[in-house]
Amino acid sequence: MHYVIVGNGVCGMEAALALRGRDADARISLVSEEHDHLFSRPALMYVFCGQLTLRGTEPYDRRLYDRMRFERVRARVRAVHPDEHALVFEDGQRLPYDRLLLAVGSRARPAPWLGASGRGHHYFVTLRDLEGLDHEARSGQRAVVIGGGLIGVEVAEILLQRGLRVSFVIRERWYFPVALDEAEATMVAEHMRHHGVDVRLGAGVAEVRRGERGRLEGVRLETGEELPCELAVSAIGVVPNTGFLHDSGLVLSKGGAVEVDEALRAGVPDVWAAGDCANVTWADGTRRPEQLWYTARDQGRLAARSMLGDEAAYRRGTWYNSAKFFDLEYTTAGWVPVLLNWDDTPLDPGPDVRSWFQRVPGRFESQRVVVKGDRVVGFNMLGGRWNHERLLEWIHDRRSLDWVLRRLGEAQFDEELTTRFRIHPEAVRTA
Amino acid sequence: MQAGLLNTYQRPARNRSAVAWSLSALLFASYLLLYLGPIPALGIRFDLFQRVADAAGLGSKWTLYGLLYTVAMVAGGVYFLRRHGSSPYHRVRTIVVVAVQVVLAFALPLVMKVFAGNEYYFSYFWPLKIEYLYPSVILAQPFLILAWSFLGSLLAFPLLAYFLGKRFYCSWVCGCGGLANTAGEPFRHLSDKSAGAWRVEKVSVHSVLFLAVLATAIVWVNWAIGPRHPDFARFAFRVQEWYGFAIGAMFAGVFGVGLYPLMGTRVWCRFGCPMAAMLGLIQKLGRFRITVKKDMCISCGNCSTYCEMGIDVRAYAQANLDVRRAACVGCGMCAHVCPRGVLKLENKPVRFRAGEPIRVYAVDL
Repeated sequence: MHYVIVGNGVCGMEAALALRGRDADARISLVSEEHDHLFSRPALMYVFCGQLTLRGTEPYDRRLYDRMRFERVRARVRAVHPDEHALVFEDGQRLPYDRLLLAVGSRARPAPWLGASGRGHHYFVTLRDLEGLDHEARSGQRAVVIGGGLIGVEVAEILLQRGLRVSFVIRERWYFPVALDEAEATMVAEHMRHHGVDVRLGAGVAEVRRGERGRLEGVRLETGEELPCELAVSAIGVVPNTGFLHDSGLVLSKGGAVEVDEALRAGVPDVWAAGDCANVTWADGTRRPEQLWYTARDQGRLAARSMLGDEAAYRRGTWYNSAKFFDLEYTTAGWVPVLLNWDDTPLDPGPDVRSWFQRVPGRFESQRVVVKGDRVVGFNMLGGRWNHERLLEWIHDRRSLDWVLRRLGEAQFDEELTTRFRIHPEAVRTA
Repeated sequence: MQAGLLNTYQRPARNRSAVAWSLSALLFASYLLLYLGPIPALGIRFDLFQRVADAAGLGSKWTLYGLLYTVAMVAGGVYFLRRHGSSPYHRVRTIVVVAVQVVLAFALPLVMKVFAGNEYYFSYFWPLKIEYLYPSVILAQPFLILAWSFLGSLLAFPLLAYFLGKRFYCSWVCGCGGLANTAGEPFRHLSDKSAGAWRVEKVSVHSVLFLAVLATAIVWVNWAIGPRHPDFARFAFRVQEWYGFAIGAMFAGVFGVGLYPLMGTRVWCRFGCPMAAMLGLIQKLGRFRITVKKDMCISCGNCSTYCEMGIDVRAYAQANLDVRRAACVGCGMCAHVCPRGVLKLENKPVRFRAGEPIRVYAVDL
């Protein structure tokens, strides 16, 4: 049996390890154009600023590939031919497979504005993106980071640390509205400004302006205002890296993700897809890709079981995630309503939804507990560390707000000697 | 991101460049001159450190060394606090370890020496300071010091290591660890994380512990029978001398500090210190561990990179396993640098465990 896995990211690697764990004799090939070894994509920012080496971000010892007898092919796939059970690479070489897993991940969503392509404009998703940005970013330059999400804040941070003057241009009325409410986002923006970032809210981009010989000169906003800069980075999300699949006969979603069933089968014989590039069913019934580290890993493992012939079904658990905005750590668990629509109009979370919120006085720190009816359904914690295992347990156990507030301190996960969580009655808001 | 860790790999002194090798050579040379004094084979006919100490009116070169060591720790402590002082654990730990050095390992022994002619380092214990359970040394001390030494090494330390982990000593009290975590801070990432280094470490550190116990036993036997067996007395003397030179001077001093810029700051603590070995064995059975939050690790590698003991913390974190390692000195840096808050140092008797795997089902919300 020859298993071929396209993509040497966390999803592909975990699938390969799971396959090897059950099938000692199979031939397993890992195809990647990006790098010879799995590295931690979320750690690229630390490589940029010299805090880690790229080698240091590799989760496994390099010898693992030999120990597991993984064959690696460093190439870009041009096309998949499911009827012939073969891949074709850019150089025309073919690689036949018995079972194929597409774990090709994401790439940066291409910037739609005029003038975006060319020198001085960057993304920050792949190793090539990192190299390009590292090559051009110089202390003293002005940079405009476009996009109000998690990659945007990372890029703003690393450019600032390198000594650039950074404007962070966010289309929405407040930062990261898919996860934060206005009070939380305001605190994060305040924190970013405190670090010296020029945060622009409600600012749509009209054009990346270039001067003579295409030199990047600035970013023009929809208001007409121009932010002069030498460097622009677009961080407006990611899209599935599935361009090469268009003529393969696989069904792709509108967003470009591979449509899969609950066993992560891609609808044609002997092809599976998992990770960022697969369209899966979420707990709320919608179909979207899950662009998370831990789900990529889980999907990879599940795809391997499915490829081995198990009756496997991918079931998305209750949502949780963590992130970091400069020094502010962020933990979320359960359901936290989105309060802002794509067109900046308010979204109504529903009649029986309310939030308990406190911003700790004098600190960049807040806690929010979301209640639906008489039970706690979600948490948004900023500026401290929280044990999501505990928070999820309370959600699953359908605890009441009073019950949770009495015990909330038990879920605190900060370093020892950190100030204990307590309720500051004067700072509490419920809405 | 930790401001104190920026550009770690871009600084010549911190990336094993020629600058780092030169720095290492300088440290080696200084320690050799300190311990050996004149080295006639190299044409060095006088004791440089002693001359400087005389010129400065400090009397003994060991007082000069203590002064330099303490100054390095204070300066390094300030350096550390500027980088990581935002964390209360690191703030308190650093202030305590520097204060212990200044008071118990420098000022108090100096005062004792000046006024009583009998110096004693209250922050050092057997088996790290092996002579503090040698009968010739300890039995000559006043009763309170004798009790301090015996009860400390044989009762209090094992108990503290059981309840708090060996960090109570290695990261909060000990001068070797103190220098590593202050002046040595810029070099912590250079520790070898490979499985091979771990294998070497396990053999070497426990061998030194064995040698320390053996040497101590020989010295005690000699105390009992030496007067009647002059051959054994000579042998016991040579054992003492050999252990003091090979382990105390060469391993702990020359190599321990000399290798800072090349192999990180805890070379001695990790591969050689018998105290670390002893407390580590107790720690394995005790309460201390680094709790890992389940399925939250992004495998970035900050924890492993900045572990001064060369523990591959990430291997545990990404596998959802709590870290229970004899080597861990509980400096707390892995938890501090984790960008997802996955790690927490704990000694609480029972950790919280969710009854169910957390993501097997989604709740209808």
